[in-house]
Amino acid sequence: MATVHGNPFQLHKAGRDTEETWFTRLDPRAKLLGILTFVITGAILTSTDLLLAALVLAAALAAASRVSAWNLAKAYIVALPFILLASVSLFIFTGPVQGANMVIRVSTCVLALLVLVNGTETFDLFLGLRRLKVPAVLTTLVMLTYRYVLLISEELDRMRIARKARGFSGGKSLLDRYGLRVLSYTAGMLLVRSSARADNIYEGLKMRGFREDMAAWRRRTMASADFAFLGLFLAASGALITIQLGVVP
Amino acid sequence: MHIPDGLMDPTVAAIGLIEFAAIVSVAIVVSRRSLREKDLPRVAMLSAGIFVAQMLNFPIGGGTTGHLVGGALFAIMVGPTFAIIGMTVILLIQALMFGDGGITAFGLNALNMAIIAPLVGWGVFNLMKPLVGRTGRIGQGVSVGTAAWASVFVAAAACAAEMAVSYAISGGTYGIAATVSVPAMLGFHAVIGVGEAAISAGVVTYLEHVSPETFSRRAAANPSSSGRKGVLRSTTLRASGAVLLVLALALPFYFLYAAEGRDGLEQTMEDAGVTEGAQLANSPFTYGQNYFGALFSGIIGFVAVSLAMTGIMRALDGRRAADEM
Repeated sequence: MATVHGNPFQLHKAGRDTEETWFTRLDPRAKLLGILTFVITGAILTSTDLLLAALVLAAALAAASRVSAWNLAKAYIVALPFILLASVSLFIFTGPVQGANMVIRVSTCVLALLVLVNGTETFDLFLGLRRLKVPAVLTTLVMLTYRYVLLISEELDRMRIARKARGFSGGKSLLDRYGLRVLSYTAGMLLVRSSARADNIYEGLKMRGFREDMAAWRRRTMASADFAFLGLFLAASGALITIQLGVVP
Repeated sequence: MHIPDGLMDPTVAAIGLIEFAAIVSVAIVVSRRSLREKDLPRVAMLSAGIFVAQMLNFPIGGGTTGHLVGGALFAIMVGPTFAIIGMTVILLIQALMFGDGGITAFGLNALNMAIIAPLVGWGVFNLMKPLVGRTGRIGQGVSVGTAAWASVFVAAAACAAEMAVSYAISGGTYGIAATVSVPAMLGFHAVIGVGEAAISAGVVTYLEHVSPETFSRRAAANPSSSGRKGVLRSTTLRASGAVLLVLALALPFYFLYAAEGRDGLEQTMEDAGVTEGAQLANSPFTYGQNYFGALFSGIIGFVAVSLAMTGIMRALDGRRAADEM
């Protein structure tokens, strides 16, 4: 199994379409704008009440979107060391309230972002970014890279199996020269293969008339449900910000 | 090292975003022409390669594992501009596909891992190469390893500093106090860096054996540098530039800290009950009384020093060229 930094589940899942719900069917632009505004709002809140309100909203979103709770939990655990280090240190240095606030704040933001990420088909998300005027160079690179990551990680899986078959078990420590050499040759081989492949892929792209930008096949317009979703999140974020600025001058 | 949303003070996050946007725009503009051509799929493929290489866990000992950052390796392979763009793409995918690293903190994450790490890695590698270049493969391994270790260590230091500044200027609402963040981040990444160094050096050695064109292709495609000495000199200059740029990126954070937080010397003096006496002489310039004053004087000072350095280097260059004629 390939692992992306400790969340191993998504790479395999991401190739397939996510399960269809009302949330996955929303226009990616509405989702991106709405949830990102909400995340940014969450990051500036400092009063416990407002943070709790934001957390409730994020949890409600998570429940309503019917994104697999298991996936959310797994991805949340990846961010946990940072959250714990930050809140424990605040707990000790500035007091329990600030420590608790930190846990709530980071959890709210992480949860909302994870719902967006897990509940949107990958290429939809890229197209949303593209249509929100993120530079074409970046979005095209992101799309191509993501496509290649799926290819190369399969390659890595095969190499891992081959390594295992020859009795390699991952090395013991940083002093294990043999283990590190095997790992670095694996990484080197990955790069050689990807570099060799890049040339072929370029020829292939050119054949199909590729010119620095990828035109989207899918065209969609914002429907009323999209506007409702966007409106709800913009309004909620606006309200939270206004109260925050009123409460803490 | 992926900072989640909500951990950093909004001001610090905003500065991170601004710096990141500025540097990445420059990188894109500089490499736009070549990106339109064959390099686009190449950068994408290498980013994918580094992305997957980051999934390789190496053992640290005692059952724990670390993984590659790859910024130095990327920069050594294809140069800093492509590395900055490629690492940014990797981080975008990690944030948007896997929720790994936040949106408001994206600027800071990209600054640490997509800008500082490649720049430091590339700079250190190119500064060390002339020193140890004659010792052949071992020298190369040493310079790649040192560059990789430095890239991870400096990126971790930047991350720790950002957290400490967040803590100081928010009065304990955001961030992590320096007494925790600095030892934790630096200690952990000093060890992780050893793995990064060993693997990066191994990868470069492997690539030189198996597929030397991964390096030479770029060098051959770059006709502007002629003659071995000219290449060496200009690369050294540019490598120093990369290291200076990293320092410049740190300036706004430092001034934010200095303006809002307390200066170490002032704190010590207050603790000891000493007050500052009358000044012996007035400096013609002041540091400014607030954040922006301090920031601007800092930037002006930095630009002045950089210009002076470039001037001196140019002058030396010119004289040497004249001697050769």
